[in-house]
Amino acid sequence: MSLPEPVFDYEARLAACARGEQSALRDLYVQEGPRLLGVAKRLVRDAALAEDIVHEAFIKIWNGAAQFDPARGSARGWMFSVTRHLALNQLRDQSRETPFNEEHDAEPDEDAFDVQGHSARIHRCLEQLDPQRRSCILHAYVDGYSHAQISARLGTPLGTVKAWIKRSLNALRECMG
Amino acid sequence: MTTESAQERDELASEYVLGTLSAPEREALQQRLPHDPELQAAVDAWERRLLDLTEFAGTQQPSPHLWPRIERSVERLAQKAPAAPSTSWWNLLPLWRGLSAAGLAATLVLGAILLTQTPPKPNYLVVLVAPQDKAPGWVIQASNPREIQLIPLGVVEVPADKALEFWTKADGWQGPVSLGLVKPGEALSVPLDKLPPLQPNQLFELTLEGANGSPIGKPTGPIQAIGRAVKVL
Repeated sequence: MSLPEPVFDYEARLAACARGEQSALRDLYVQEGPRLLGVAKRLVRDAALAEDIVHEAFIKIWNGAAQFDPARGSARGWMFSVTRHLALNQLRDQSRETPFNEEHDAEPDEDAFDVQGHSARIHRCLEQLDPQRRSCILHAYVDGYSHAQISARLGTPLGTVKAWIKRSLNALRECMG
Repeated sequence: MTTESAQERDELASEYVLGTLSAPEREALQQRLPHDPELQAAVDAWERRLLDLTEFAGTQQPSPHLWPRIERSVERLAQKAPAAPSTSWWNLLPLWRGLSAAGLAATLVLGAILLTQTPPKPNYLVVLVAPQDKAPGWVIQASNPREIQLIPLGVVEVPADKALEFWTKADGWQGPVSLGLVKPGEALSVPLDKLPPLQPNQLFELTLEGANGSPIGKPTGPIQAIGRAVKVL
């Protein structure tokens, strides 16, 4: 048992960025850089491209710090959203709708999503989903797979995948509130 | 699009955050977001719901080049335009509000000078605006670089156990320096005798602190108003 780490104040760092303090941006980078890069890398599956995306994300964070509205969500969540959507835009713009290339097959199976052992509410809600539907959600959110890619991956018709995702999202909203 | 139901809007927001929208659908939605508060709220709610799924992505150690690259880009931005606005300046409501407040303040200042027959003109002006809605709240004027006047443009509410603290930071300073506590609605004259002379672009702000001010000598509370010094020609 170790003592909990002192709470890192994302909102204060963001307010300092808005005042032009670059050291605050560095604090945010040290705190979340590896996780943000992990998210980007998993989505675009290319280390150099993932670094381009995190670079762009931190410029957006710096420029947007003054407009950040804490009423809309946490500063930490906003940093992840900025990064994810830059990566997703990139993924979708490439529109490589070829179902999969070799790298994908080398990746761990969908069973690698270990839902157990996470305390967050989303994980408890995920556990209530049928395993295949849970995979759809995780492949979409974490891997950035399109409907067509998930369909190919799971060997399930496209229409079924779309319906599963829609219903799973409804179920998650019910469960999470 | 006008017939979109709340449920359809929520489904669109959920698939946007999940990542399953196509490129044209994403682009259309991203263009709607700034003008569509209901859609923005639905997206925000889904971002909060799904955020913890980012844990599944794992971490990736950045190369040693990434931070210096970010730093260079940010420095270039800071040189080009301090607190760079992303939209065209012509469309910036806060700028025009600020300028009209500055104009009003300048009128008051010049009027006061005419009335009192004292010759000095302000050589610096700062308009302090609220960070959220950019409403001007205070004006700072300096007739000489060693003393500034903080003039309220209205009365603000401060909770009984809180106080407004006045800060400044010029480019190149280590951090902000406290100029003391400010009573809402009252003008305040602050000598800058312990500080370097005022410089263009020097940052001023008011933060909400405990009744005796910040305990650590640095701003800890939310910013109530913020602005930068402009040299008056």
